[in-house]
Amino acid sequence: MTTTISREQWGSRFGYLMAVVGAMVGAGNIWRMPYVTGENGGGAFLIAYFLLLYLIAVPGLMGETSLGRHTRQGLIGTFRKLYGNNRLVGLGLVILIFNIVLMSYYSSIVGWSIYYAFHAVIGTFTQTDFDTAALWQAFSGNTALNVGMHSVAMLLVTGILLFGIKGGIERLAKWMMPILTIALIAIAIRGVTLPGAMAGLEFSFSPNWAYLARGETWLAALGQALFSTGLGWGIALTYGSYLSRNDDIPLGGGIFTAIGNTSFGLLAIFAVFPIVFAFGISPSSGAELAFVALANAFGSMTGGYLWALLFFMGFFFANLTTAIAITEVGVTTYREERNTSRTKAVLAICGIIWLLGIPSAMNANILGYLDFVVGNWGLPLATFIIMIAIGWKFDARRLRVLSLNRGADLYVPHLWELVVRYQIPAIMLGIMAYFLYTNLGQTPWKTVSGLALLTLMIPLCMWIMNRRHDTPQVATSTGGQSS
Amino acid sequence: MSLSAIIVMLASIVALWGVAGYALIVSMRHEERKLSLLHSQGDFEPYSPRAFRDLEHWLTLHPDSEHAPEIREWQGVQRQSLQRNPQRFYDWSDVDDATREAV
Repeated sequence: MTTTISREQWGSRFGYLMAVVGAMVGAGNIWRMPYVTGENGGGAFLIAYFLLLYLIAVPGLMGETSLGRHTRQGLIGTFRKLYGNNRLVGLGLVILIFNIVLMSYYSSIVGWSIYYAFHAVIGTFTQTDFDTAALWQAFSGNTALNVGMHSVAMLLVTGILLFGIKGGIERLAKWMMPILTIALIAIAIRGVTLPGAMAGLEFSFSPNWAYLARGETWLAALGQALFSTGLGWGIALTYGSYLSRNDDIPLGGGIFTAIGNTSFGLLAIFAVFPIVFAFGISPSSGAELAFVALANAFGSMTGGYLWALLFFMGFFFANLTTAIAITEVGVTTYREERNTSRTKAVLAICGIIWLLGIPSAMNANILGYLDFVVGNWGLPLATFIIMIAIGWKFDARRLRVLSLNRGADLYVPHLWELVVRYQIPAIMLGIMAYFLYTNLGQTPWKTVSGLALLTLMIPLCMWIMNRRHDTPQVATSTGGQSS
Repeated sequence: MSLSAIIVMLASIVALWGVAGYALIVSMRHEERKLSLLHSQGDFEPYSPRAFRDLEHWLTLHPDSEHAPEIREWQGVQRQSLQRNPQRFYDWSDVDDATREAV
């Protein structure tokens, strides 16, 4: 039996663009990109990064969004439309599981940012002789508090998703992304006017051309271009499935999403590193940079309360919009597969993620392990699966001719097909092989166990979907101009 | 700051903020135009002249494909829209005779 579910659509172009760029702008843009840029030759890294962005991320995002708009289905529904009712639909389930696992530990990071936003609101960082390192250590060591913040993060995500695509995700992104932009611009202006700030910009932008000849530079640029834009995780596909039939994809879903996302990384360079260098802090990345070094610097600045508030609220907004997007992939798919209401789907998926996220909230090693497995192989594998589905199963030419260039603000030529069919899958395989090669010697247990988990997961997911098709209860979606 | 760092910084600003800002403005303006066409005439042609040529070319190469009916359906939507509507979304002033004839 085939059941039909009415399908929501984005309420406005601006809303969609803010939601999709908000989905991609996360912690990595703010606490990773400035450092990676400075460490890999500054301007040389940026050139490599731009090239890869246009060669991989932009065409990949175009394809993923276009496939979602064409099928008007979530992950599993899309794979069912492509492969039919058979075990290969399990490949969609594999990507869905990566998303759920990713969100299970990303919610802890959202929880950290909520905790620090709260401290910024109550003015903790501007207290006299306040020790930010001690706060971070106390917070990291407090299991109950971490689980509590993870729970708060998931409650927030649940609450927003309950309002739907237009009333929840879009409404939130339309406010949060402009606020994040203004917050980062304000901090950047303050940062570059500090004495000694120019050394931070010199560190980030000074081109060391020799780095362009190093493989590590290109790999770092590739990692940033792929993981920062969220290519192949099902987010662009899911958000694209809520576009109307004649909405543009190449300019908005492709170029604006990838370049807009990176623009936030550039803004973070201006906002973060001038302050880091002005206060003589050693440049670093990750939680240490945001929660210790910058929190300390804000406390020492004139008007520190305001700058800390802007930064940590902005950081929280960036993380929250990403968390919502990752979770929505599961919500859309669950709703279609179970043919249930959005409320039930949101509660089920958020409940599962909350439960799975508890170990990561309790133990940073578990979070690190999951990040290692998902980041090194899970996400490249997801991207590989989606690109093969687009390029070969659906047929890249058919997708370009039929869907991608429909209503497009920008004509996409034949070359795009070659990129999606050959270039991106080959690069994904190369990345996975490289990560395997480099990690096997350094962390053999983590590498072998992670790969074993992934290897078992693919046939298991295929078996599950094959069994499920014996009792068909397939939901297809219609809505908007198509219905 | 060194001159090379300043050049890279300015180039990055243009390549990122410039492109993103331009894409956002163009995208919003085109959306406005689409909405205005939907409001005044109910629909607009879904494909540009080049994209429509691709559609025709695909059908020429795969006339018996299982996906041909879907492509033909969109070909029909395009033709009907062009015949019915006085205003166009895409610029059709420079199309060659073959495309004009196909439409």
